[in-house]
Amino acid sequence: MKTILKISLLTPAAVLMFIADVPPELPAPYVQLVPEAHAVFGVRRRSFRRGVVIGETAAASSAQHSQQSATAQQQATTSQQQSATAQQQSATAQQEAATAQQLGRAAPPPPPAAAGKPLPVGTVVSALPGGCTSTPVGGVEYYYCGGTFYRAVFQGNNLVYVTAQPK
Amino acid sequence: MATANSRMVAALFALGALALSGIVSTAARAQAPAVDPAAVQILKRMTDYLGSLKQFSMHTQINIEDLLASGQRIDEDVAASVIVSRPNKLRAERKGGLNDQNFYYNGKTLTLYNAPANAYATEPAPGTIEGLLDYARESLGLIIPASDLVYRNAFQLLMQDVTFATVVGKAVIGRVKCDHLLFSRPGVDFQVWVADAGRPLPCKYVVTDRGNPGRVSITTVSSDWNVAPEVTDARFTFVPSKGAKRVTFMPPDAGSTPSR
Repeated sequence: MKTILKISLLTPAAVLMFIADVPPELPAPYVQLVPEAHAVFGVRRRSFRRGVVIGETAAASSAQHSQQSATAQQQATTSQQQSATAQQQSATAQQEAATAQQLGRAAPPPPPAAAGKPLPVGTVVSALPGGCTSTPVGGVEYYYCGGTFYRAVFQGNNLVYVTAQPK
Repeated sequence: MATANSRMVAALFALGALALSGIVSTAARAQAPAVDPAAVQILKRMTDYLGSLKQFSMHTQINIEDLLASGQRIDEDVAASVIVSRPNKLRAERKGGLNDQNFYYNGKTLTLYNAPANAYATEPAPGTIEGLLDYARESLGLIIPASDLVYRNAFQLLMQDVTFATVVGKAVIGRVKCDHLLFSRPGVDFQVWVADAGRPLPCKYVVTDRGNPGRVSITTVSSDWNVAPEVTDARFTFVPSKGAKRVTFMPPDAGSTPSR
């Protein structure tokens, strides 16, 4: 009986020791917290896409196209461009996206006076607000939405819209 | 009672020996050469073979793990196909929830076409595929599908800063028996599966971001390899349809915030 007890105690103990033995398997030199965001591996691409996904979610969750939420989207988009490490980048993207979502939810309906107020030129949004009319000016298609002109551009792989002054 | 005590001593000794063997084996592993030449050789056989091809086409299914701000993981699926005709022609298509886009490179210009918006941008491009991939990434912020494998010097790029390499074992992927390799470099682990008989084609590869606490990965499974695809010039030049809107690329660093 005692033997059985000892075996039943020893076996888990041995198993535990082997488990505890696993972590030091990673030699110290490559346990690093700062990743190298080498484009050949697409690590940057993933972070980049993450920003876009959440940016779009934020855009969808925000029924209002107030300046506030547009700015939040712009921040989320801008966070994609941060070219520090992938870790920093994704952390930033998440923070920005969280901010964007909060702002999107908290954004009050735009006051009638502010609705027609144009956004600063160069603001990037991931989707056009509703109710746009499109006009070609000098070979470029412009979208006129709520007092603001936009034009489509590729920001990396993604088609986005940037506020512009038709010329 | 004395017997029980001696048994207890023996048991303790056994435990101590186990613990000691654990320490010794860890020390032995830490001292073992971290880069296994066998793994490097298989990787090189694969990259040399791909680099030797004048032309090829393939299909890839890409899974991108993504962490939401809530900590939940979602996976994005992207299907991409690539046709390469060295030295200066490439066509790629990428389809997924986030992107539906085509790339055309004919040795002179690069066009990115976004089908849902019927919008495209065309830029003058360098004269080789390698130059194009660098230019697209660095100057346009554009990542072309499967570019890791398309580089002729893929071996140098993949092996750069590698601190660890090993042959994990065998696997069967898409009915092909493959060698499973694991490599590490600062911040990044990558696994490559290479067909172990016949043409040494890549079956699959996984890149894991070690800097991310969620250790998220990008998984690419390749299939439908063709080393004699149709490579007429027309396939690599974009012809805009009626009503297609020409747009521009925003420089990657062009932000709309003053801090940038």
